[in-house]
Amino acid sequence: MISAASASGAMPSAIGATRGVRRRRFADALATVVLWTMACSIIVMLAAFVLYMLYLGAGAMTPSFIFGQPKETTAGGGIGPEIYNSFYILVLTLLFTIPIAVSAGIYLQEYARPGLFRTIVQFSAESLATVPSIVMGLFGLLIFVYTFHWGFTALGGALTLTLLNLPALMRVTQEALGSVPDTLREGSVALGGTRWQTITRVVLPSAIGRMTTGVVLIAGRIFGETAALIFTAGLSVSVNAPYDPNPFHTAETLAVHLWYTRSESVVPDVYRIGNGSALVLLIMVLLFNVSARVVGRALTKRFTGRTS
Amino acid sequence: MFQTPSVPVGEEGSAKLVAEHVDVYYGTFHAIKDASLTMRGQHVTALIGPSGCGKSTFLRALDRMHDLTPGARVEGCIKLDGEDIYGPDADPVVIRHRIGMVFQRPNPFPKTIYENVVYGPRIHGERNKARLDELAERALRQAALWDEVKDRLNRSALDLSGGQQQRLCIARAVALNPEVILMDEPASALDPIATSKIEDLIGQLTEQYTVVIVTHSMQQAARVSDYTAFFHLGEIVEVGSTNQIFTHPKEKRTEDYITGRFG
Repeated sequence: MISAASASGAMPSAIGATRGVRRRRFADALATVVLWTMACSIIVMLAAFVLYMLYLGAGAMTPSFIFGQPKETTAGGGIGPEIYNSFYILVLTLLFTIPIAVSAGIYLQEYARPGLFRTIVQFSAESLATVPSIVMGLFGLLIFVYTFHWGFTALGGALTLTLLNLPALMRVTQEALGSVPDTLREGSVALGGTRWQTITRVVLPSAIGRMTTGVVLIAGRIFGETAALIFTAGLSVSVNAPYDPNPFHTAETLAVHLWYTRSESVVPDVYRIGNGSALVLLIMVLLFNVSARVVGRALTKRFTGRTS
Repeated sequence: MFQTPSVPVGEEGSAKLVAEHVDVYYGTFHAIKDASLTMRGQHVTALIGPSGCGKSTFLRALDRMHDLTPGARVEGCIKLDGEDIYGPDADPVVIRHRIGMVFQRPNPFPKTIYENVVYGPRIHGERNKARLDELAERALRQAALWDEVKDRLNRSALDLSGGQQQRLCIARAVALNPEVILMDEPASALDPIATSKIEDLIGQLTEQYTVVIVTHSMQQAARVSDYTAFFHLGEIVEVGSTNQIFTHPKEKRTEDYITGRFG
């Protein structure tokens, strides 16, 4: 209740702000503004980057560029086979990585008891994850290209990328499974479910959304990989046919082509090809990220009836 | 003081589930000490006692849920219709088909209501859609949930209220047609109205099933059960008909707990 004396200004109001309160409120507002600005800056940076790339590369976006063959020495080359190789290696890599990483993740999260074996596996995976991609590329060069006498192949590239991405996908699997509460596992067991039934019918369906998001994000990284593929998949497209289905074909990907164009190539239109390749690569990776969320939500809805 | 249901005169009920000298250890901690209890068929046995007295631990031993806990050890024997569920030939999957459990917090699977109810029959091999539909309806009726959900069986179970979710978990358990239903404080996470619905349900379930219920509410034990076992510090202090336990307890500890001197 405000006393009558405050109406004349003689005493402070019982509900109005004092100087101390004003200072605290100001600090609160200031912090809010600063944090909001930091968050916005991320959006601004991304927008600036994408817009600049669009500006640089839009001129190259013609059908003859996107679907045409690359040229060694003359202008007018395209990136058709390179896009094909990027997808080819992506699919091949996922074909190897997903079964191994998901199985290992399920084992570590659902079966292994804390102990020496589990610690060793987790440590090995973490160590594998810290190997620089170029070092892994060198390893792939020595094993697949030289020792196995394959030369530069899509298969060699895919196997090398598998080694690089296994730990990440295993970690994603473990975290996705770990996010499923134990009460659900208990519920399944109390109804007479075996461990495998519990995993396949309750735990995995609940985790599938997060796991898919993880897979698609890794796909984005595979699509953009360069160092490891330069040494294993090579710098030229297949000599047999540009869209060669044989896994042993030489497979220059779009990302590698971008590097090659701007550092080694002797064609006169390096800027056009470089900027165009960069823009296509950027669009593909952004599309991967968007579809990660879309597919993840759709699968979660399909399996659990809810969107998260 | 309390209203207790009367045990039918002359009807003992078979010794459906019998615990004999059961000890439960968590590592070196001796959680249940030499517990023996006969749980009678088609009656409700309540396990009461203060927090931490071991009643939930004992309940979980009855359907071998401690198998899931690393470091947990159960000794002694627990006989279902005369056969030891911890014996060398006993299969936990079969045991859990015959002995179902409802947990303190409702734990429906993040699936549709229908998928939740038929989960049990499905994992035990039932594939016939018509048969599953039939089982689902019967179970939901038994759990007094059918009328509320019959038009939305394909909606997510997580959209139901807490009380409805718990009745769904009960439906899930009865869909398997078990012989015994274990309930670990089934209404403690629910509001009073949902609680009384669950208590009514227990009365109906007794017509077909044997029920063992852990409860921290003495009033609830007095309302729903025929027999009561009082647990304290891991031991069964006293067992008797609910009427006798609450009006003429034989042990001092029992009397102290009942009259509210501790717990």
